[in-house]
Amino acid sequence: MTVDRLRAASSEERIAWLASAAELLLRDVNDAPGALAESTGLSEAMVAWGARTTLRTVERDALRALVEETRMTGSEPIASLSIVLAGNLFTASVRAVVVPLLLGIPVTVKASSRETRFPTMFRDALRRANAELGNAMELVTFAGGEVQLETALIEGAEATAVYGSDSTIDAIQRRHPNARLIVHGHGVSVGYCGPDALRRERISETIANLALDVCAYDQRGCLSPQIIYVATDSEPVLSAFAERLAKEGLEPLARELPRAPLPLEVGAAQAQWRGMAEVEGSLVSGDTYGIAIRPAQPVRWSPGYRNVTVAPVRGVAEAVRAMEPLGSSLKCVGADPMSSASLCAEIGRSNALSAHVCSLGTMQTPALDAPADGKPVWHGLLR
Amino acid sequence: MIDRAALATRIETMIAAFGHGEPADTSARDALIDDLAAWQAERIPEYGRLQRRGQWPPALPTDVFRFRRIASHPEERDIRVFRSSGTTSTDRSVHVYSDLSLYDLAARVAARRMLFPDVDSIRLVILAPPEDEAMDSSLDYMLARFAEWFGSTSTWVWRDGALDLDAMTIVLRQAEDAAEPVALLGTSFAFVHAEDGLGERWFELPPRSRVMQTGGYKGRSREVDADLLLSSIGARYGVPAAFIINEFGATELSSQMYETTLQETISGRTRPRRLWVPPWVRATPVDPDSLLPVEGDTVGLLRIDDCANLDSVCCIQTADLARRLDDGIVVLGRAKGATPRGCSLAVDQALGSP
Repeated sequence: MTVDRLRAASSEERIAWLASAAELLLRDVNDAPGALAESTGLSEAMVAWGARTTLRTVERDALRALVEETRMTGSEPIASLSIVLAGNLFTASVRAVVVPLLLGIPVTVKASSRETRFPTMFRDALRRANAELGNAMELVTFAGGEVQLETALIEGAEATAVYGSDSTIDAIQRRHPNARLIVHGHGVSVGYCGPDALRRERISETIANLALDVCAYDQRGCLSPQIIYVATDSEPVLSAFAERLAKEGLEPLARELPRAPLPLEVGAAQAQWRGMAEVEGSLVSGDTYGIAIRPAQPVRWSPGYRNVTVAPVRGVAEAVRAMEPLGSSLKCVGADPMSSASLCAEIGRSNALSAHVCSLGTMQTPALDAPADGKPVWHGLLR
Repeated sequence: MIDRAALATRIETMIAAFGHGEPADTSARDALIDDLAAWQAERIPEYGRLQRRGQWPPALPTDVFRFRRIASHPEERDIRVFRSSGTTSTDRSVHVYSDLSLYDLAARVAARRMLFPDVDSIRLVILAPPEDEAMDSSLDYMLARFAEWFGSTSTWVWRDGALDLDAMTIVLRQAEDAAEPVALLGTSFAFVHAEDGLGERWFELPPRSRVMQTGGYKGRSREVDADLLLSSIGARYGVPAAFIINEFGATELSSQMYETTLQETISGRTRPRRLWVPPWVRATPVDPDSLLPVEGDTVGLLRIDDCANLDSVCCIQTADLARRLDDGIVVLGRAKGATPRGCSLAVDQALGSP
């Protein structure tokens, strides 16, 4: 019945409801960021930033464009969707839920047991914006691996979008080999700074943008840059770049968007990672960040929480070669404007990569219609 | 000018003096750690690159032992190479030695103090491979030395890469019949597997029998809560809880820490179960961001400065969580997300556990 009512509404109605719900939700978050800070493990300022930058993408023109894009395919929306959310980024539920609802697809959302507050607030905002819209989002929580509940969730929908670690996804695929799954597995992202980004008149902008990409969500998302490839063969240039990233980027931004307290398990990994960085290269560190300066290989994955590697490369081609072992796990490459085109072309020529290229400073704020895993955001929602 | 011989003498003197009953001198230990670290930083480039934070010398992360050879001497002078358990080369920490005399001295003095304070020698039953089957295991090396130093008889109940529960049963029954105490020594995993396999075979080992278990679970097999394992071992072998103690060791270290209950019970004291830190070792929970010591009993990352690590690096930053308790340390286990490793893993793999 919900399917019929939601689908019976016009696209314009759904667009208006969703835009209204986004505004309501943003107001709710801004009224009480403390509760979300507690549940997400982010600072209040970061929660407010995440909500603002994500929810502002849910605006009428963007929603209209997305509807138009799907109409052009000539395909019909599926009847229903279940969504298994990951717990690492609280705003990840926004695109995951908005896009199907926009297409008239009711959703059953299984929230991470670690983070239920934001999905609950989201559902409540949908209900307040419009009852039909609110009823089209059902929210459930249960522990991972509860096979009966998981089966009911997956078999109760035409398709299931699964966000999570590769091991979570593998386990679900093994348990439900015949289910139609739209998987969004483990991901990492990187940045690239070409020669233009290092020029005197550009460097401040480059540093500010990179700092935002690193600090956003405390570098916990799959769109967070772990490594920044810098086009230089000069060690002093690379060191100076890291120093500026620290002093002019990460330190001032830490005052505006404070890092959350470090969980002990992350601290353990951070101590090991930073020590390895000093042994293999050098480390620029402050109270809430660490920048490893070292060769592009071997890769030492950081524990996040504002620990990033800067690595020298001779140019785009070498950077892409360094990215290739990451394969489909590489989700996004943030690049300076002058490098974007050549980077896109080089990634396009690679058989291994399908990463999305975006501008530095926007890695964590994808547009509503930004591709996901190299595919349109509505992939799997049409038939 | 500091030289190796002078450092070795200072370390040996400090450990031996404690072994002879002299009181611990923490200021001498701290000065020795400073001198050792300075000497090592000049000779080991990896260590020399670390930045000092606060008053203490920097601590080398244990991960570095997985990727680099950490030694002040050239490779051709290695006489022994210890590796932690793991499935690939980069999973395994490597600690090389050109001289094991300080290791031996530290192991002997610590074990005498905490594990065998009341007996000159005792029947040993060892739930681990014999030394010649695991030449790169520091645990198996240490257990072999224990057999030489403390064993009236020593039986390895480990055959062809697996626990031999029948042999174990025989040797424990013999001890019961002879009314002679036994020391059961092995990894936590081995005790879990023994528990799983012994079924209805229960023991009432003679008074003063004791158990030393070591190692964690590494996230690779069935985990048993520490308290549950303690009670299971107590019930299985008829050994009181105070005589079941944990040993904390690591491939990257040359010294071991032991739980206090056995030694304190024998001394007529009752205090909380915690790890005793040998006086030539400084064990400190540190803040994960600053790497400086935490206050009071706050949980931090365990930093261990081990003076017996002469030819590698004395100051080690582990990924274990710990807090102070009384005059000792309680290790809360490896932080989730940190690299699981350790000597228990090889045992579990050999036993074919999932």
